[in-house]
Amino acid sequence: MEYKVALGPQHPALHEAVSLRMTLDGEIIRDADLKLGYSHRGIEKLAEERSFIQNIYLTERICGICSHSHTTCFTQGVEQLMELVPARRGLYIRTLIAELERVHSHLLWLGVAGQEAGFESFFMYTWRDREVVLDILEWISGNRVHYAMNTFGGVRRDIDELQKKKILDNLGLLRQRTDYYLNLAASEPTFIGRLAGVGKLSKEQAIALCAVGPTLRASGVPMDVRKDDPYAVYDEIPFEVCTADSCDVLGRAVVRVKELIQSYNMIEFILQNLPEGPFKVKAPRKVKPNEVYSRYEAPRGENVHYIKSNGSDKPERLKVRAPTLANYPATIAMLKSGFIADIPLIFAAIDPCICCAERLVQLDNPRSGESQVLSFSQLRSMANAHYKKIDLTKKEAAWPF
Amino acid sequence: MSIKIAPFLPQLLRSLFKKPVTVKYPFEKEAVPQGFRGTVVFNPAKCIGCNICVNDCPAEAIDIIRVSETEKKFKMILHNDRCIHCAQCVDSCPTKTYHMDLEYEVAAFSRHALKIEYK
Repeated sequence: MEYKVALGPQHPALHEAVSLRMTLDGEIIRDADLKLGYSHRGIEKLAEERSFIQNIYLTERICGICSHSHTTCFTQGVEQLMELVPARRGLYIRTLIAELERVHSHLLWLGVAGQEAGFESFFMYTWRDREVVLDILEWISGNRVHYAMNTFGGVRRDIDELQKKKILDNLGLLRQRTDYYLNLAASEPTFIGRLAGVGKLSKEQAIALCAVGPTLRASGVPMDVRKDDPYAVYDEIPFEVCTADSCDVLGRAVVRVKELIQSYNMIEFILQNLPEGPFKVKAPRKVKPNEVYSRYEAPRGENVHYIKSNGSDKPERLKVRAPTLANYPATIAMLKSGFIADIPLIFAAIDPCICCAERLVQLDNPRSGESQVLSFSQLRSMANAHYKKIDLTKKEAAWPF
Repeated sequence: MSIKIAPFLPQLLRSLFKKPVTVKYPFEKEAVPQGFRGTVVFNPAKCIGCNICVNDCPAEAIDIIRVSETEKKFKMILHNDRCIHCAQCVDSCPTKTYHMDLEYEVAAFSRHALKIEYK
């Protein structure tokens, strides 16, 4: 007999608000459906009302973990619109921060995976070592989470010799710890037993469902924006695209650990080959009318920003496609014919960031259960009708304090 | 399946003889790094009233008000409840009127208490 079960939006097993509707046969998931829009924030609309400089800080707040990813993606898009060539030293520092961010994101993920698999000590160890990376980021940028390093034409702060030395000293510690994790995970049969064979996604499925990032690479597809379409200075830095062939959650963990080691090598290379010169160039305030499509390999996968300018100092349209959104169809495929108990693990394995991904496109009628897609002109007429009803005298109201 | 404890042992022994890393916060304070972005500080003597900071502030936390009709004198009101500590005002200002201090304990019981006026 089949049951229909709703999981979320608020559920203790999930870290963020995911709304799942599942058809179950006993403990086995036969069909799953994902509903988006619970954490819709209206960031794209807000971006249209802010200038390009203000939007750097707005895009930074799309995500807390990949805050540098979103600003870099936005900044390099706008630099293309401005026809501006950023300072080379600035690009190196930008890449350095990006790789440090990848280290902290992957360490965080390893901890989450350990926790979901019931390996709490692993969670404690990785999160303790993540503090080392966060401290490095704090020394360089001034803050732990929102680094605010990017600006048009380069970065906002330079790196001095003392900081360089501090980073290299701490990298040794991180390398040692990562080797220890590899040893620990390999010698812990319960951990491997919990991850292996869970959330299978074949190579063909991964390509057909447009998975991105470590989820795609764990299915044996060597795709990485840093190699395929190099941005910043990735064409000058030697690194390998890490893949795994096991197509399951264990493979995703292996890919991330391998990428950690690659990131350490890249950070060392950047610090040893940091070019001299200015770290930023002056950027114009207004941008010519044009449109651009900017790609970036965030720790979670390919991040895409589409920016359209109209000649003013504000963007006419900003479209953000966070990597989690691209991984949703693959997640549904992974959930099917899996167990209920595997849901948190499978979800954690794509490293979901729900708030980053939610852009409302579909509306449900709560009475009939029908869903409908609204066109832009329909939305526009609805918005006009809504604003006509509003009492306009409120506009004059002042801040009461 | 038996749990192999060997890889844990060095870690366990090290943690056993280590001091706790927790800082007893209100009594002991950890130093913040040199480049920390704390609270915005404004120097009214240098301000020329160009309003670039007001236009660039992502949080709309800055108000620049002209004090005298005849002289070029300005005061700044910082809405620290809205400030996101990005330091864009420090970068944007052509006369280096702004800097960030290392103050991070800015909590207050009401949001009016967070309004700072620099004259």
